[in-house]
Amino acid sequence: MDDAVIQSYEKQAEALEGSVAGMDDLRAKAIKDFAAQGFPHVKAEDWRYSDLKTLRTKAFSPANHAGETPDIPKAFTDCAARFVFVNGRFSESRSDMGDLWQAASVRPLANHFMANPDRAAELVRGRDGVGMLNTALAKDGMVIAVPAGVEIDDPVEIIHIMTGADDCAAHSRHIVELGEGASVHIIERFIGDDSSYWTNSMLQARVTESAKLYHTRLQEEGANAIHTSKAYVNVGAGGQYHACNLSLGAKVGRFEAYVRLLSDESNATIDGVALAGTGQSHDTLTHISHTMPHTTSDQIFRTVADSRGKTSFQGKVTVDKDAQKVEADQSFKALVFDRTAEANAKPELEIFADDVKCSHGATVGDLDAKAIFYLTSRGIDPVTARQMLVEAFAAAALERIEIEPLRDALMARVGDWMAERKAKPIPENKSRVE
Amino acid sequence: MLKIKDLHVNVAGKEILKGLDLEINAGETHAIMGLNGAGKSTLANTIAGRDDYEVTKGTIEFMGQDMMEMEPHERVAAGLFLGFQYPVEIPGVSNLNFLRTALNSVRKLNGEDDMSAAEFMKLVREKATHLNMDPDMLKRFVNVGFSGGEKKRNEMVQMAVLNPKLAVLDETDSGLDIDALKTVAEGINVQRREDTAVLLITHYQRLLSYVQPDKVHVMIDGKIVKSGGKELALELEEKGYADVA
Ligand SMILES: Nc1ncnc2c1ncn2[C@@H]1O[C@H](COP(=O)(O)OP(=O)(O)O)[C@@H](O)[C@H]1O
Ligand SMILES: [Mg+2]
Repeated sequence: MDDAVIQSYEKQAEALEGSVAGMDDLRAKAIKDFAAQGFPHVKAEDWRYSDLKTLRTKAFSPANHAGETPDIPKAFTDCAARFVFVNGRFSESRSDMGDLWQAASVRPLANHFMANPDRAAELVRGRDGVGMLNTALAKDGMVIAVPAGVEIDDPVEIIHIMTGADDCAAHSRHIVELGEGASVHIIERFIGDDSSYWTNSMLQARVTESAKLYHTRLQEEGANAIHTSKAYVNVGAGGQYHACNLSLGAKVGRFEAYVRLLSDESNATIDGVALAGTGQSHDTLTHISHTMPHTTSDQIFRTVADSRGKTSFQGKVTVDKDAQKVEADQSFKALVFDRTAEANAKPELEIFADDVKCSHGATVGDLDAKAIFYLTSRGIDPVTARQMLVEAFAAAALERIEIEPLRDALMARVGDWMAERKAKPIPENKSRVE
Repeated sequence: MLKIKDLHVNVAGKEILKGLDLEINAGETHAIMGLNGAGKSTLANTIAGRDDYEVTKGTIEFMGQDMMEMEPHERVAAGLFLGFQYPVEIPGVSNLNFLRTALNSVRKLNGEDDMSAAEFMKLVREKATHLNMDPDMLKRFVNVGFSGGEKKRNEMVQMAVLNPKLAVLDETDSGLDIDALKTVAEGINVQRREDTAVLLITHYQRLLSYVQPDKVHVMIDGKIVKSGGKELALELEEKGYADVA
């Protein structure tokens, strides 16, 4: 990797000294680790489907506050609070604190460790260059702690907006902590203009006994953006992490979810849809660790790639030696619209217990020509027919979102995306399923 | 209404229809009978415009328009309906959504406004009840988990909602018990009017005692080899295809 790039990031990390109480040591370690290994290469097993060469060849500067006020997208539904980050900075004036603060503790990352600096050590450091850089450069983020027994009814939106940010990056770090039996639905949205920015975001969560974290993500970055984000979640007994990710935007997009099921009956449900238009790449990596018996996980992913679009899914499930009676399901289906579209699936099961039920399935294909003919033979034009079939295909991975207006909004995104495509049925493709 | 002249069709590079002529006028019901593999479904699918059925020669004219110039959905807007021998299952798309999208697409192509949701629901409920279809099935995914008979009945509901000028019904009678057959026959008879026509494709005489055709055609190896009145169907049943043709 380019030394100048590393030096630039070292300078950025140095400049952040003292910006977040308690984080200096962690920052120093993270930037050192980053300098030692740089950004992951496509040759690295986990990164074979995402090429970060843009990141390796030029350093992205810290993004400045935007000159003009970007439009804040309308909420999908009533929210307990809406937190807006512009170019990586928390914008209090654009946020709506709602009534969340009455039920939960809410504060920006910058103040979080002031009272208890040793808690900074609990921050996830990241095991690759992208994660390390997030740790080294994160300055802002939301820390939401919901006390035991409190269920936040309306969702909490975290909106990331990038504007006028050519060659700039935003590294945000959000922390969610749920006490026993608590629950909250976090909606993360990522939007931006056409500038060539990089969003590098991380959310870490602790879901304790019987708590529930719902996490719906809508990635609609600008056309020239790079989007990398990671979720690290630990789930206690009877707890649940229920996530759904819809990726539409960015040139290169990647979402990783690392979930550790730490006690009996804990569950991870992770669904996702990725829609790759021409020249786009969407990569999803999930790693669910079943460390204890009677833990369950369930994943449904559906992706669609148009000409020269690419979608990838790597789903790793590990079951520890004594984790008996584990159930883990994984389903990945991809549509590719022609032979230049690409879909990759890499399910990985590492099972060290003997009494478990694990399943995975992966298919790649074009839309069913018979179904298209059936719809058109009822008067539906081919473009609408394809749109209906793609919506139905994606619905399988979106229908577990419990908030109806949110689910409908995401479904509508799928319809709109299809409405922009043209009908061109060529069944060959260069995809592979391993 | 429908004029087919010297129709030759290739499927997967093989000639299946080998010079077929057929003319159906408004107010008429015709039946095409023939053994399995004669090319009956190929004819039906070609009329509907399936794109892997290649017309190498001949013409199809519908309501005075050259059908070869029209896409499948445009043929429907012009008044064509194909009842499938094997209706397709579409997971994730509800029957109601399917029917409503279909009806409004056809209306749009004909320069009409969308039908209101209330009006549409009333229409569909009425047609479904008429065809003895459980209204709950309207909410289910198109044909998914339907029995053979239920699929055929669903085809008839679609036909009733779209109210075509020409209905081409491919083996709509197969897989039906006698009660279902009577219901479906009634649905077809309602569709028979002065300004409409029906083409029944079947290889049994059974349906024809409930829906009496004006003309019967015998199809063998991609051609119509004999045409006659409804008595031809009975003759076929008695003597078999080899002797009649
Ligand atoms: N999609 C297809 N691909 C290849 N052969 C086909 C296809 N459809 C029909 N055929 C062949 O065309 C011939 C006529 O079939 P079909 O029209 O279904 O006959 P029928 O409906 O009279 O039973 C058969 O020999 C059948 O095998
Ligand atoms: Mg047939």
